[in-house]
Amino acid sequence: MQLTLWTYEGPPHVGAMRIATAMEQVHYVLHAPQGDTYADLLFTMIERRSKRPPVTYTTFQARDLGGDTATLFKTAVHEAYERFQPTAMLVGASCTAELIQDDPGGLAHALELPIPVVALELPSYQKKENWGAAETFYQLVRALAGPSAPASGSAPRERIAGTQPRCNLLGPTALGFRHRDDVQEISGLLKQMGIDINVIAPLGATPADLSRLGDADFNVVLYPEIANPAAGWLQRTFGQPSIKTVPIGIGATREFISQIAQLCGIDPAPFLANTEARSPWYSRSVDSTYLTNKRVFIFGDATHAIAAARIATEELGFSVVGLGSYSRELARELREAAKRYGVEALITDDYLEVEASVDKLQPDLVLGTQMERHIAKRLGIPCAVISAPVHVQDYPARYSPQMGFEGANVIFDTWVHPLMMGLEEHLLGMFREDFEFHPEAAASHLGQSNTAAAQRKPEALKAASVTEAAAMTDSEILVREVATTTETDAHKIADASAQSSAKASAAWAGEAEKELTKIPFFVRGKARRNTERYAREKGVTTITVEVLYDAKAHFSR
Amino acid sequence: MSAVSAIPVAVTHKPRPRLDGEGSLQVPLDPNLKIGNAKVFAVYGKGGIGKSTTSSNLSVAFSKLGKRVLQIGCDPKHDSTFTLTKRLVPTVIDILETVDFHGEELRPEDFVYPGYNGVMCVEAGGPPAGTGCGGYVVGQTVKLLKEHHLLEDTDVVIFDVLGDVVCGGFAAPLQHADRALIVAANDFDSIFAMNRIVAAIASKSKNYNVRLGGVIANRSRETDQIDKYNQAIGLETLARFPDLDVIRRSRLKKATLFEMEPSPELEAVQNEYLRLAGNLWMGTKPQLTSPLKDRDIFELLGFE
Repeated sequence: MQLTLWTYEGPPHVGAMRIATAMEQVHYVLHAPQGDTYADLLFTMIERRSKRPPVTYTTFQARDLGGDTATLFKTAVHEAYERFQPTAMLVGASCTAELIQDDPGGLAHALELPIPVVALELPSYQKKENWGAAETFYQLVRALAGPSAPASGSAPRERIAGTQPRCNLLGPTALGFRHRDDVQEISGLLKQMGIDINVIAPLGATPADLSRLGDADFNVVLYPEIANPAAGWLQRTFGQPSIKTVPIGIGATREFISQIAQLCGIDPAPFLANTEARSPWYSRSVDSTYLTNKRVFIFGDATHAIAAARIATEELGFSVVGLGSYSRELARELREAAKRYGVEALITDDYLEVEASVDKLQPDLVLGTQMERHIAKRLGIPCAVISAPVHVQDYPARYSPQMGFEGANVIFDTWVHPLMMGLEEHLLGMFREDFEFHPEAAASHLGQSNTAAAQRKPEALKAASVTEAAAMTDSEILVREVATTTETDAHKIADASAQSSAKASAAWAGEAEKELTKIPFFVRGKARRNTERYAREKGVTTITVEVLYDAKAHFSR
Repeated sequence: MSAVSAIPVAVTHKPRPRLDGEGSLQVPLDPNLKIGNAKVFAVYGKGGIGKSTTSSNLSVAFSKLGKRVLQIGCDPKHDSTFTLTKRLVPTVIDILETVDFHGEELRPEDFVYPGYNGVMCVEAGGPPAGTGCGGYVVGQTVKLLKEHHLLEDTDVVIFDVLGDVVCGGFAAPLQHADRALIVAANDFDSIFAMNRIVAAIASKSKNYNVRLGGVIANRSRETDQIDKYNQAIGLETLARFPDLDVIRRSRLKKATLFEMEPSPELEAVQNEYLRLAGNLWMGTKPQLTSPLKDRDIFELLGFE
């Protein structure tokens, strides 16, 4: 543990809150001081949930510490039960309350409530949010599904002949990265394949649902960071196998379908060729050639980071220059993945270390969390967000999954757009001295640009550039550069307009004019002007195809 | 989530507990560390008396009764589970070092090895000789087992404790154990060591649940000296194992007694282990005794 301003994960009781909030009819009594109630805002403001998380805080204050905080806790549990009438309860302490050692589990047990009460022991100073969520989910599953476990040593239950295969979807929580939409996408896919969903948990599940987990034939672990321990217990207790391929990306989605089909004895072929999957063609199309070998840096939770690395290399033709994660629980998988791409895994929860790595590698694109978005912004590198920690913008109103075929479409758009924006900026930079694009030019789509520029007097432009220089105070050198560039531009423009009014341009031969149309529109104007200048300098009166290419050769020298 | 996390003042200003003892570093155990519902036994005794052999055979006996057993070797020698796993398995401390003590990177299969008849085996390992604290090692091991939920699906936990050091490492398993068992032979040295162990358990039982379970007489055809001592302080012998060559040979063969060629005398020993395991599972009555003074034990057993 170290003193830090920003963390990738919250304390483990926030993980427990993510489970409680995702579920129905569960209430979590948290022994916590007043300030810890801020965590509610994560769910109401960032995730934009329509109700508060089902959490009661004991909110002890400094003066309570001299009194009986244990009674305070017992009263809070009792009142929460009376008021919210949950069918199962979680009790535990936040990081601060852990220090006063009131033993919430023992206290709640003594109240003898008529519902299952699961006591959480979450070591706040050693573990983090995802671990807390996984532990909470495991304890709930064990407490609620445990009573219906078959006697140890008895044969695993067989699927009744003629019925559809059934599975549980495990792992989606509140405050997860696109969990809501992933569940919808994967549920649809399974439905297409003729597979029933027994329980989706924890998102939307009730305690009664958890007690039915054993009725499924197998489990689908959507988010290993959350569901791995619970899936392991279900496998040991009910003999349910787990599908652990996370269907993020086209390749992984196909693998996911094949594995499920194999497990259930169905033919995967009809589900593998999906016509809605546009990302494979888009990424092969000519328009996407600029994606090839773009250097990407990837950081996130292990599941999303590993999936991103696979998509980047196998599906988009990027090259991975850095791969890392803050999920120590899955560090092993991440290291293996990093080895496959020939990079060293960066396992850390220190964002400064990540920033240093990005700065050193200078990738073309950063795929990361909201933390990396800030880092990339500071370093002026395009970025797309692929994983929690989340931001309000990661809860779009529209349908926007990461998993399945639609997820792959979403990922294609999300990753490619920042690069395209980058391309546009690059072009803007390239033509900044061009009269159409200089900072003072009016927007070209308004149709006024040429007249606007031509009507201005060089003096006016000069004045404008001085004002601009005065406004920019952060970098003296940059300001001076801008100022001089604008000044020369102004002269150039003045020259150009003078010459065009005096009429001096060489004439274009028909075929040369035709050849000019082959040049991409965004450089055509520049090519035309350069060629004319060349012709003028050389004293050529008719511009032929040869002159055009001589000019090109001249200027590219 | 990205949240501004402040370290509570109470943590940074928590006074460090005073180190106890002179020369050896004692790491206080986490008071919240509790083993779940399993029955926990800690096996003690003078060095070389046969604690590991007894523990391993007892573990197998419990597993033969259908119990899920976890044996934790707490000796830096880390050969407690040798006859169960047939090899020297890496210790928890070795494994933790490979991940720079980030325990969350580990999987149960990294440090828990299945042994004969499904007994789960863990070697806690120890600190380098002359430094560190065995108690820390035991504490880390229990924490790791708990975090990986290994104690929740276990019926019996047996700690096989290092024999010759009376310090924090020696005491750590007592905090987790329900019953402490002492292995002793019918000789003065091992009974003298037993007396010291009785004293340690008596003092630990003031603050912890641990109670003295009784004596396991090992490697002894006669038990007159042990009986004399037991009578003096009111202690019971739980089981008797004669000094049989097959027991010595089983160790050389890397096998527990339950895997050796059957013979009548071997069968008697196996039955004694099964009887002991059965009695311990049913629950033995706690033995509340106080140790003899050193001078008294010399007078009781003579100076031979």
